[in-house]
Amino acid sequence: MKKQYWEDFPVGRIDEFGSRLVSEAEIIEFATEFDPQPFHIDKEAAAEHFFGGIIASGWHTGSMLMRMLVDEMLINSTSMGSPGIDELRWKAPVRPGETLSVRSEVVEATVHKYKSDRGFTKFSYVVSNEKGDVKLTMTSTILFLKETEGDV
Amino acid sequence: MATEYFEDVQIGTVREFGSKLVSKDEIIKFATKFDPQPFHIDEVAAADSIYEGIIASGWHTASMTMRMMVDHMVSSRAGLGSPGWNNLRWYKPVRPGDILSVRSEVIDKKRSVSRPTMGTIFGTIQVFNKNSEMVMSFESLGMVLAKTTGKE
Repeated sequence: MKKQYWEDFPVGRIDEFGSRLVSEAEIIEFATEFDPQPFHIDKEAAAEHFFGGIIASGWHTGSMLMRMLVDEMLINSTSMGSPGIDELRWKAPVRPGETLSVRSEVVEATVHKYKSDRGFTKFSYVVSNEKGDVKLTMTSTILFLKETEGDV
Repeated sequence: MATEYFEDVQIGTVREFGSKLVSKDEIIKFATKFDPQPFHIDEVAAADSIYEGIIASGWHTASMTMRMMVDHMVSSRAGLGSPGWNNLRWYKPVRPGDILSVRSEVIDKKRSVSRPTMGTIFGTIQVFNKNSEMVMSFESLGMVLAKTTGKE
């Protein structure tokens, strides 16, 4: 497959991809290191909590989204990284045994103001489980090299 | 430490905490799982990239920040979780040997209209390296339990 440049992500492009099974062991491992709140790492405490069982750290869900983006879109692209994320919302808890997938839509594409060999692409992502329940939404920007210099 | 409820949270409160040394092994371990782009996991490729050396995944920096927040902030607050956050920006790469610390500030708070026994705390979270350069920031949203409905 041809390497993906800024031009390959026009506004309106939609991709659906990913199939990430979330295990309880992974949830506990991630949260033990980065988010050791009881409802992420302690089964008994989590059962008593209003979440009613262990749930993934929201940062873990975001990181799993990142992995799906890398595998599907970024690894074979001219991505130079991201300046940031405009908005992230955790819509519902992610629980052990769920399988996450991504819907990605390009919502904005602009050439870099000063460096005409690159451009910014803003994506809107929706992460859902196997039943279609929405778990996370995010809007963020990636900087790609352009295939041809100058304005389009 | 006394539990901090919605009424106890003071707008303008600043907290500075954390001292997280970032190792190369940790950077590679995290990115291998969640963000396997060459400039995060491959020293040779990273040296040739625009970053001129291995840098941490932005999600790793965010996750390390969450850990510092859990250790120093979250445990004292009557927190009910977070719906997400806004405007996360990565300003400078985080490199092996960096030491990260956090500055948090309470910007605003609003009692929930529909559920007055809780409210939302609006904050800014800034992350610095050992040279006091800001590497990341975001606008946090945290839901917190109230002691009263505010109408008694």
